[in-house]
Amino acid sequence: MSPKSSRIRNVFEQLVFSEVADLWHSRFGIEEQVFMGLQFFQKAQSIWAISNVNLPRLSYEALGMRIMNMKSTPWKPATSALQIFGGYATKNLVHLNEEQAMVFLGGESQLSPSYLEPGYVVVFYRGDVLGCGLYSHGKLVSQIPKERRMEGFCGKRAGFVESEVI
Amino acid sequence: MPDFEAFQAVQCLPLCNSSRINTLKIDRAGLLERLERAGIGYRVFEWYPLGLKLDVESPGKLQENLLGYIHIQEELSMVPPLVLDPHPGEQILDLCASPGSKTTQISQMMNNRGLVIANEPSLGRVAPLRSNCERLGVLNVAITRYDGRNFPRGPFDRVLVDAPCSSEGRERKGPGVLARSSSKKSLDLQALQIDLLKNALRLVKSGGIVVYSTCTYAPEENELVVKTCLDVARLENISIPGLKECRGLTEWNGEPLDNDLMNCARYYPHLNDTGGFFVAKIIKN
Repeated sequence: MSPKSSRIRNVFEQLVFSEVADLWHSRFGIEEQVFMGLQFFQKAQSIWAISNVNLPRLSYEALGMRIMNMKSTPWKPATSALQIFGGYATKNLVHLNEEQAMVFLGGESQLSPSYLEPGYVVVFYRGDVLGCGLYSHGKLVSQIPKERRMEGFCGKRAGFVESEVI
Repeated sequence: MPDFEAFQAVQCLPLCNSSRINTLKIDRAGLLERLERAGIGYRVFEWYPLGLKLDVESPGKLQENLLGYIHIQEELSMVPPLVLDPHPGEQILDLCASPGSKTTQISQMMNNRGLVIANEPSLGRVAPLRSNCERLGVLNVAITRYDGRNFPRGPFDRVLVDAPCSSEGRERKGPGVLARSSSKKSLDLQALQIDLLKNALRLVKSGGIVVYSTCTYAPEENELVVKTCLDVARLENISIPGLKECRGLTEWNGEPLDNDLMNCARYYPHLNDTGGFFVAKIIKN
């Protein structure tokens, strides 16, 4: 890696607030005011969000939360960011039932209804945002990071077993 | 230490799993309702309404943990942020931050407003710090990687120095720690701890608060560290209703220490059924 690219990789550059908010609005219908009180930075291919304060002149490893990855098109929202902002989405979202949620949290793909636009979607279960799914060719591909996946998460939970019986 | 026999006896008893409700993502009532619906047994701490003892074997695998509604954190580890008492909008430095349990608790006490600088020199320890911050929905934490002794720039309203220590208070989590500890080991750590505390006092505003904490009993790493800053700062008494503490030592190895050190708090495992901790609240002159 050349020294130049290494320098670029480690610089956080501030972005115009509305340009970032617009991307979330156009894909998920999330209003700009949801992001009020935040500022956005880009480092390499990632966009970060942090509280809107004057940052002391320091060398930073991370600024708040990495909310989106711009490496490929379309841009990809981070699971953590969707869990915070995804609840305000008005389009490109999907509500899963218990069985589907289990498949999704296990990191697996599954068939999904075709009303979704292809691309990344906000995945809900019982009012919780579980994370990010990629919808393409009738399939919903879980984007849950490996370390946050869950194997057979609801089978062991008394509450869910009961609801199955009902 | 009161009742040394009980102290020894409690060391072989495993510690109950505990967690903190993450109010950045869910309110307390909502979380308790979820646990009840799922049939997960819990007990709320007597001294902290957001602290829960959980009656499950692997709390890390709970859906509530993966979604960031709770954070698995040892009971006494929730004390230093409460003593630090950060407010929304302030600038806080957490000098030895990873894995971020206290950092994220500070962030939630500030309601994601203001700024917390979470400093962690070790690259390998930055990953868990980052992943905890992200899972818990933290938006007011920036991570730096300075040697805490040389962290360059302030001023901060409050600084937390949760110092590297011999971890004797973690015996119930990982048996053998007490057997491996020694005065020499503590004195080696003391040099680092004194330098970290000195720098924290340089970085905090005049009248600002530094909280110094360790999870060890050794006076060399506690009172003997704190006493080195009493020429530029004073101590404020720590007392948390519902949690039994012992006062800081004012004498060690036959040598009298500054009386002010009794304002520090020592937490012993047999008094609250916890691990062990030491906390000092230091106000810069």
